[in-house]
Amino acid sequence: MSRIIDTGLEELSATLHKMGELAYHTVLAAITECIENRQAYGEIREMSDALLSMADHVEDKAFELIARFQPVASDLRTIKSYMKIAYDFARFGRYALDMSYTNQKLGGIRNCGGWIISHIKEMSEKTLEIIDLSITSLRSHNAQLAEKAAQTEKEIDKMYFDFLEKLTEKADVTTKCTVSSVLVVRYLERIADHATYICEAIIYIATGRKVVLR
Amino acid sequence: MAKVDIRKLNVWFKENHVLKDVTLTIKENAVTAIMGPSGCGKSTLLRAINRMNETIDGCRTTGEIYIDGQNIYDGSIDVYELRRRVGMVFQKPNPLPKSIFENVAFGLKIHKMADGQKLAEFVEKSLKEAALWEEVKDRLNESAFSLSGGQQQRLCIARALAVNPEIILLDEPCSALDPIATQKIETLIRELAEKYTVIIVTHNVQQAARVSDYVAFLYLGKLIEYGPTKRVFENPENELTERYLTGEFG
Repeated sequence: MSRIIDTGLEELSATLHKMGELAYHTVLAAITECIENRQAYGEIREMSDALLSMADHVEDKAFELIARFQPVASDLRTIKSYMKIAYDFARFGRYALDMSYTNQKLGGIRNCGGWIISHIKEMSEKTLEIIDLSITSLRSHNAQLAEKAAQTEKEIDKMYFDFLEKLTEKADVTTKCTVSSVLVVRYLERIADHATYICEAIIYIATGRKVVLR
Repeated sequence: MAKVDIRKLNVWFKENHVLKDVTLTIKENAVTAIMGPSGCGKSTLLRAINRMNETIDGCRTTGEIYIDGQNIYDGSIDVYELRRRVGMVFQKPNPLPKSIFENVAFGLKIHKMADGQKLAEFVEKSLKEAALWEEVKDRLNESAFSLSGGQQQRLCIARALAVNPEIILLDEPCSALDPIATQKIETLIRELAEKYTVIIVTHNVQQAARVSDYVAFLYLGKLIEYGPTKRVFENPENELTERYLTGEFG
């Protein structure tokens, strides 16, 4: 027999799954805009706003469940983690919007050197991979899968620092390219961090262990 | 620091084996909640700590309970003195058919602990500790039955405190009270823990979460889990505790 609180938990879970999909598409749109020079700021802004509003909804619903049912044990861990995950998904949207804004103001990276574009492409693929990992772990509350984020996050961090190092060594990169590419890789790196936080939250829900994967 | 050390405690009521090898250390100046579904042995465990089970026909107890290192099941123990040191408050308020003052003074008189002005001082002190003094100071000679249910329960707590106990046992003290009276008792329980070791039996898991520092979960007479309330309520180690706390059974 299902409990009264289960209906609320299922509603939270459904909202988070929608947020995950939307967050993935928002980041993908920002990456595509940046690399292919599409104009997608308006669309990304709408998706980012929708993510923020869904995160507010998750927070309201979570507070309602806490007030009405005083959850404990795995219910409490789930609600606490869902609030955190909703915030992380909203941050995906915010960083995607920042990428899009950089693209709009500085012209993106389309005129930058080939190595910059290929580095950012590679880093973008890894970032989308870790987002996908966080969403898949969330769907099944799979702690083992979530733990795999640690390795991908390390790879993305390394890509970020390698990029900065290479950029400082190259004298032929324009200021615009330097600024826009640094911002883009920084946003990708931050998105990957938030995907890792989501994976940490999944491990907490599933096992009660508080881990730091970064 | 440990105040009560329960070791391999078994209690039978005739053929019914109610507590099975319970081993538990209860800390001093803390609130320990004992929770579990109906019939799991919560009240029996509580009543073992001041040997109240012995008043029931067919009760047999094995194992040891140490209070400050002394086994209370040792033959040399004075049971009346033990029950002074380990006060008890029951599920339903049970004031004596006497005045408010006499209810609190009762234990002091039978233990010959005070009389005259000293008695009045002790009564006032106990009523203050039970957070009842302000509400009754002008009507001490009225019948205890004139008080509300919540006030009667605090009077019973004052009566237990009057004889200067070290441990207070509370057996579902709020189950007959409304939410406001319950809140007052819960606040009082937290205050009492500054001076006394408090052990409370409750079937209300949210109450255990609110008032206790440590929590013990009993199931079918066995101690399933014991630990700091925060840890047990956030991340129980035992699957049965998890299922009980989340309402899967109870």
